[in-house]
Amino acid sequence: MTTPAPPKLPLRFFRWYCHPKLRDSIEGDLMELYAERRVKHAKWKADLQFVWDVLLLFRKGIIRPTEGYQNLNNYGMLKNYFTIGWRNLAKDKMFSFINIAGLSLGLTCSMLIFLWIRDEYAIDAFHRDIDRIYTVTSVEYSGTEVTGGYDTPGLLAEELGKSIPEVERACSFSWSTFYSFSADDKKVKLNGTFAGPEFFSMFSYPILLGSKETALQSPESIALSRNMATSLFGSPEAAMNKAVRFENQTELKVTAVFEDIGDMASEKFDFLMTWELFLRREPWAKDWHNSGATTFVKLREHTDAAAVSAKIREFIKSYDKEYSSLDRLELGLQPFREKYLHSNFKNGHLDGGRIEYVQLFTVVAIFITLMACINFMNLSTAKSVRRAKEIGVRKVTGAVRGSLILQFMLESLLITTVAVVVSVVLVTAALPQFNAFTGKNIHSPIAELQFWGGLTALAALTALIAGSYPALLLSSFRPIAVLKNNFRNDSSSVAFRKTLVVVQFALAIIFSVGMIVISSQLNFIQNKNLGYQKNNLIYLPMEGYVATHYETFKDEALKLPGVTAITRMNQRPVEMENSTGAVEWEGKAPNTLPNFTHAAVGYDFIKTMQSELLLGRDFDEAFADSTNYLINETAWKIIGYKDPIGAPLTFWGRKGTIIGVVKDFHFNSFHVSIKPLIIRLKRGSQGYALIRTAPDKTHEALAALEKLHQRINPDFLFAHQFADEEYRYMYQREEMVQRLSTGFALVAIFISCLGLLGLVIFTAEQRTKEIGVRKVLGAKSRQIVTLLAGDFLSLVLVAIAIAAPVAYYAMTQWLTGFEYHVSVQWWMLAWAAGGAIAIASATISVHAVKAALANPVKSLRSE
Amino acid sequence: MKHYQLGEFEEVVMLTVGVLYNEAYGVSIKKEIESRLSRSVSVGALQTALIRLEDKGYLKSREGEATEERAGRPKKYFEITALGARVLDHVRSTREELWNSIPKVALKLIMTN
Repeated sequence: MTTPAPPKLPLRFFRWYCHPKLRDSIEGDLMELYAERRVKHAKWKADLQFVWDVLLLFRKGIIRPTEGYQNLNNYGMLKNYFTIGWRNLAKDKMFSFINIAGLSLGLTCSMLIFLWIRDEYAIDAFHRDIDRIYTVTSVEYSGTEVTGGYDTPGLLAEELGKSIPEVERACSFSWSTFYSFSADDKKVKLNGTFAGPEFFSMFSYPILLGSKETALQSPESIALSRNMATSLFGSPEAAMNKAVRFENQTELKVTAVFEDIGDMASEKFDFLMTWELFLRREPWAKDWHNSGATTFVKLREHTDAAAVSAKIREFIKSYDKEYSSLDRLELGLQPFREKYLHSNFKNGHLDGGRIEYVQLFTVVAIFITLMACINFMNLSTAKSVRRAKEIGVRKVTGAVRGSLILQFMLESLLITTVAVVVSVVLVTAALPQFNAFTGKNIHSPIAELQFWGGLTALAALTALIAGSYPALLLSSFRPIAVLKNNFRNDSSSVAFRKTLVVVQFALAIIFSVGMIVISSQLNFIQNKNLGYQKNNLIYLPMEGYVATHYETFKDEALKLPGVTAITRMNQRPVEMENSTGAVEWEGKAPNTLPNFTHAAVGYDFIKTMQSELLLGRDFDEAFADSTNYLINETAWKIIGYKDPIGAPLTFWGRKGTIIGVVKDFHFNSFHVSIKPLIIRLKRGSQGYALIRTAPDKTHEALAALEKLHQRINPDFLFAHQFADEEYRYMYQREEMVQRLSTGFALVAIFISCLGLLGLVIFTAEQRTKEIGVRKVLGAKSRQIVTLLAGDFLSLVLVAIAIAAPVAYYAMTQWLTGFEYHVSVQWWMLAWAAGGAIAIASATISVHAVKAALANPVKSLRSE
Repeated sequence: MKHYQLGEFEEVVMLTVGVLYNEAYGVSIKKEIESRLSRSVSVGALQTALIRLEDKGYLKSREGEATEERAGRPKKYFEITALGARVLDHVRSTREELWNSIPKVALKLIMTN
């Protein structure tokens, strides 16, 4: 009798779920029962009972566990890989520490940089229609000079809105300045500006009270931030429709209160006043030949920005009467989203900006992570000798190469995961310090799902890079050689390790050179003689009584202790921006329009600034100087008079004479060269009073000035500034780069040293017997240290040879961004190289000495 | 004595294994229970009970011969372990103690009712 076959499908189902240990015996039972029932009952009934039995067998205890059986999956093996990985980590605590410390530091750096970059890109992203908002860029052609920027005529926005159909909204915007405001007895001095009526409809600054359409409609309106409203009136609600005195002369009405502007906006202000008021205060802005306002436009949906840009290129031509091919302004559009990162102009074209630092740091982050990966590769290949037997046994028992690669990749993933966890902790701990360094306000991203996703990707990528070489190398061992115990690290892997060390040190040296060059450039900027004395120079804005009765103020202030000289100026001497081509002189070549920077000052200008007169005299009350001019050396060269004193000069159509030549002084950042400068005498009420104090009496002078100010000018706050602080402020970006590059250089050096230390420990261990034999034969400890250290120091030397030219080139490139700069000196390279050698030697000798001092009996006993 | 875990069905299975002595495997146990206790037993319930008893150490198993009607699958024979025997004895004695503690009169009254 043949056994009747039960229905196939349920049987297969049973076989699939049943625990393999039970499968045969229970299946036997089922078969026996089925055979019996087939004899007793009809087939369908037996079948049905069979199915029923199979279904009732589907229960806990009979179903196989989800893991643990061959043929089904590899969980068991994977589990084993992790176990072995852990054991290896725990066994070699020093190696594990070096590995994980290096990796976590590298990852911490790259995470911080990533957070910084992400924050940079997120700036301004909160504006709803940001993809339709553009900034109008301008290129000014003046003779042979081409200057790019955002300066446009003050009436441009209105005209663009009227005559270009693609423009949905347009709005003018001015530069931010500190102004004084008062309401009842409260006074504040805050930073803000003027904007066109459509500003709040265009951008998404949240409005608390009032409407965005009417906020800047009537000329005497003002919109306040919550902060300003609270400090003037106690609360935003109380501020609405109240009167505010602007500069103690204009009455404005609060028409809106907006939420305080956080760090995520590139344009920050505490108040906005109307464009009408701006034009009233700055009548020159109505002239289409002048430019100074920023213009924003919002295009209609589905508009081709490039077409609009081409269309408005010569827009000004029909408005500006003085428009000529020699003296004209061309317009263009730049997406507003890009303005924050791309805002530098070179030869009239957009050329970088903050984006350069974003790119620089991206590269740095990649390199630092790479260095940490190199550590990992180095240590794991060095350690491979110890793992050789394990690999041999695995291969003999049937491991194929792929599974060994998988094993080492998983080990690398294990270590990377530990490192990632450590670095998340480090990032959280370092964020406040990092924020202080970079002037950002980045929050810990731990709560963000996206961050963890990115982190997983980062860990996987790092594990892949770090694990790739060890996995490939270790899995290629031949089992017979390994198990016969005549395995040695072959020369190619040794060479590879050496290359890695060289790469690591070369990177560390490049970072160090960068750090040194940036620091010395900043040092140069801070200490170079600017041509005037920036220390002990105080500015006081011309407000109220100081503006209206400047002469009285000057007389009174000069009587105060410590005040040595006072003058006035329509702008700050550290950053002078007004320029014009409207200068005529005898013998000026026709059709040239050189651009002159110009400043309006008061008497005693040279005396107060403490700059040097080459020829002639300072403005003096003893003379009628109102049409006399001072020029600087550069201007003299352009004008070309042999004897400039008393020579005629026409500025803005006013004929006058030159009374003095000032030695060139820096009135702009070191990024640009000193421009020709014309200084005239003017009694205007705007700008600053410049007060020179005696070097050791600044404190006294300041206290006395404040008292005086309180007495004669009670409606205004004593808002003084120091010239040297303002000056430093210009270079805050460079200072940030300096601090970060110092940090990164230190981390890079530290990581390299960790790697080196690991290799030294390993080599010393490998050569224990050799060292023992050498000592028995009479070698001195010193010789052994030299022997061990020599190998590695030569690697560092190679790294220096490679890094020096690269660093030299890169830093020379960076310095070309400054018109006035130090050059990369040999001693800067020498310092970096010397530092690398010193630190490397120290690292190496720590362990080499220990190995050299070890008792040879111990190392040779087992032979 | 320590506390032993033994459910009613488990007890039945163990006793049946004892009854079948040397011939106790899946199908035979099932049939024995079905015929003696006239209740139907599913393969699943039986197998789970057997596995549980084996895990507790009350039963042990050995692989037996394969027959034709089993399509070449081996039988799995069960027998009671020493521990299993002790447990059965314990269960029995506790039951008996309970029986003995019931007043004769009471039981008689109820039965006759």
